[in-house]
Amino acid sequence: MRAGERRWGGWRQPVAIAVAVAFLLPLWFMLSGSLREPGEAPPRAPELIPRPLSTTSYDRAFDLVDLARHTVNSLIVAALTVPLAVLVASMAGFALLLLAGRACAILVGLSFAALMIPVTALLVPRFAMFRWLGLTDTWAPLVAPALLGLSPFYVLLFYWSFRRLPPELLEAARLEGMSPFSMWRRVGMPLVRPVTIAVALLAFIASWGNFLEPLIYLFDPDLYTLPLGLRSLETLDRTNYPVLLAGAVVATAPVVLAFAIAQRYFLHEDRGAGWLGR
Amino acid sequence: MSRIALDAVRKRFGETTALDGVDLEAREGELLVVVGPSGCGKSTLLRCVAGLEAVDEGTIRIGERDVTRLRPAARNVSMVFQSYALFPHLTVRENIAFGLVVREEPKQVVRERVAEASELVGVVDFLERRPYELSGGERQRVALARALVRRPDAFLLDEPLSNLDAGTRVEMRTELRRLHREIGATMVHVTHDQVEALTLGDRIAVLDAGRVRQVGTPDEVYGRPRDRFVAGFLGTPAMNFLTPDAARRFYEIPEGTVLGIRPEHVRIDPGGVPARVDLVEVAGSDAYVHLDRGLVARVPADSRPAEGGGVGAGFDRKAAHLFDEATGERREWT
Repeated sequence: MRAGERRWGGWRQPVAIAVAVAFLLPLWFMLSGSLREPGEAPPRAPELIPRPLSTTSYDRAFDLVDLARHTVNSLIVAALTVPLAVLVASMAGFALLLLAGRACAILVGLSFAALMIPVTALLVPRFAMFRWLGLTDTWAPLVAPALLGLSPFYVLLFYWSFRRLPPELLEAARLEGMSPFSMWRRVGMPLVRPVTIAVALLAFIASWGNFLEPLIYLFDPDLYTLPLGLRSLETLDRTNYPVLLAGAVVATAPVVLAFAIAQRYFLHEDRGAGWLGR
Repeated sequence: MSRIALDAVRKRFGETTALDGVDLEAREGELLVVVGPSGCGKSTLLRCVAGLEAVDEGTIRIGERDVTRLRPAARNVSMVFQSYALFPHLTVRENIAFGLVVREEPKQVVRERVAEASELVGVVDFLERRPYELSGGERQRVALARALVRRPDAFLLDEPLSNLDAGTRVEMRTELRRLHREIGATMVHVTHDQVEALTLGDRIAVLDAGRVRQVGTPDEVYGRPRDRFVAGFLGTPAMNFLTPDAARRFYEIPEGTVLGIRPEHVRIDPGGVPARVDLVEVAGSDAYVHLDRGLVARVPADSRPAEGGGVGAGFDRKAAHLFDEATGERREWT
């Protein structure tokens, strides 16, 4: 072990614990708060375990707002958005790799520029466009950005990952007569699996937590996604914070679950994918 | 199997000329080794033949076909890369079968050809392993099997032994030679290692700065180098070059020429020209004796002189080569 590693090794655990506590505490208070009786005033001091423990707030949350439907809606939107975003972003990233040279540099530059544009700056023109297309009050405006890879960041992430592959692998594939699509499917994608999972997770979080776009595009409550359902909950019973927190737990749980499932893939040392033939 | 012929091939990368009018032929069933220092254009040459780089001028023929403008897959050549380029997510069997599967060959054909190729290069025992579970030599065998399985018109080998340790390299060199004898394929093998070139090739092409300096059998190229570059590049230690002044102590040479003598032809001989031993390097059974006359002699290690001592040095005139001082071209003794 080198000296630097040894020094860092001693500090690593306490630092990791401190970071974990800082991130877990809010989640814990959200969970413990949701297990209080509905209508109770907030405790004066932080309360790790409420007494008495009650799940009534969850019943109330589902009674007040159709959270089940909103959850299903969010799942449908995410199920359409995530695979589409991964597909388009990975294909675009691979296309950039094959393009190489000046054209690639220009497109990477443009992707960076697009990354700098705040989403809010595009809200009005986007809304006008979707209204002109007659697609407001449908899920189409929520899914449509996935046709562009959802974010230039995801495209660039794939591009950088593909660039790390030894060029000889793709050259060997070219010599065997593979088409660019075939190279993407049979050589590129299997070798960037951790990145694919990371992008899928990020796209899921983005879709799941998307509040602003459903707010401006959706009018029919039956089409509402979960963030809009939470807002309705807040509007209907603003001071009943155990019920609000119960809704928040329902909204957060799938993301935590998705991360728990995904992390074993990108934290696991997959030597097959990591070894790149050198 | 087919011959490969390059005719006046030029390739530039921006301002850099990688290939400068290369004329070269690998005859049918021949193992042609292209050797040269780093950056001389030898890998570019191979990539141009494979179609991975487009040539700027000239033509490339494989067999009777002009393949200059054909895409890589249509040229029907197999390439073995320096880094092996095995697909890490596939097993050895899948790697070998890759080209056949891509071409949608029937499963029975794939099975038979994979069995045949893996038998030929000796990878039968680890067909179900992944490349990262193999040693360098085993990976190289798999890469060879993948090249063989398609039965191409020619094989292109881009420094396939340079990532191997010394022992495995020697073993694989012998394997390559045996394989070539067995299948009788046209092979173009690129290397920067002159020992590999001399031991492996039916013929050798020496490349420098994008130009072919000499093509010939190992004996021809080593024994009668066409110019000073080829003479200096092949051989360990490198050939001694003596200016007319230095050479005069041994033999008179024409004005404007340089004398070249290989270290193994320099004799440590009491009756020779007196010289002092500056340094002695022992390399196994041989010793390289550096003399103050600007000469290096290769002698048996057990008869090496002591460092700092005085010796006599000499060589036969007929073993010496003459090169033009200005152009480096070979000149004959008169």
